[in-house]
Amino acid sequence: MRPELEEIQRLEEYLAGALPEEQQLDVAVRLLWDQELQRKLAGQKLAYKILRLFGRRKLRTELETIHVRLFG
Amino acid sequence: MVSTQRVSMKTALLTDRERTLERIYAKAYPLVRHYVREHGGTDDDAKDVFQEALITFYEKAVFDQLTLTSSVSTYLMGIGKNLWRQELAKRSLQASLPETEELVEEPDVDPDQPTVALMTFVEQLGETCQSILVSFYYFGQRLEQIATQHGYRSVRSATVQKFKCLERLRKAVSHLSIEQLKS
Repeated sequence: MRPELEEIQRLEEYLAGALPEEQQLDVAVRLLWDQELQRKLAGQKLAYKILRLFGRRKLRTELETIHVRLFG
Repeated sequence: MVSTQRVSMKTALLTDRERTLERIYAKAYPLVRHYVREHGGTDDDAKDVFQEALITFYEKAVFDQLTLTSSVSTYLMGIGKNLWRQELAKRSLQASLPETEELVEEPDVDPDQPTVALMTFVEQLGETCQSILVSFYYFGQRLEQIATQHGYRSVRSATVQKFKCLERLRKAVSHLSIEQLKS
């Protein structure tokens, strides 16, 4: 996997608190001074939020279909 | 304590979402509808409340924060009752305020607008990325399952693809601030 993708994976694991302790700390420290990384992390959080909204909407559509089939 | 019912419910939701949800729907919706009707609501109200409850249930069941101490129907009925009570309280508050019309119309239009705009970022990713990302991050499906569904030879390729898609989405939304989501 190219380095950019590995970084995305690391940030994902960081947010989940899933990195080994030392690496978890390492990312936290880098985030203190690395504005580029801060920006990437913020973007990634936003992406997760949007996916949640999108997923919810999709689930709602699926439930609507079930509703029509059963009670419509 | 890990209950067997919870584990198998989660598995059922992950492997056959449509049929599992349909089974739950058939059983639990009439109960919630009965409650809402008895408490001044319409069938449409009941549907909204029930679907909201079922979405909450799905998210909790799949992401493992749920310990069911009763049946799924009882659980959904509990959430449904709460939601309907909140809705009734909201409506009676709106009714007691002056200029009701404006106040009633606003929530229908405004909160949805930013959401609709944000949805397009996901839509622009195309069918494959959309499906991989939503399956993994929202529906909680395993990468093994996603790899099979999308014809990837290995979990590894599916993982790489997932991060590529996420990278594209992150790039697309990077000019937005997190504040724009707090509506």
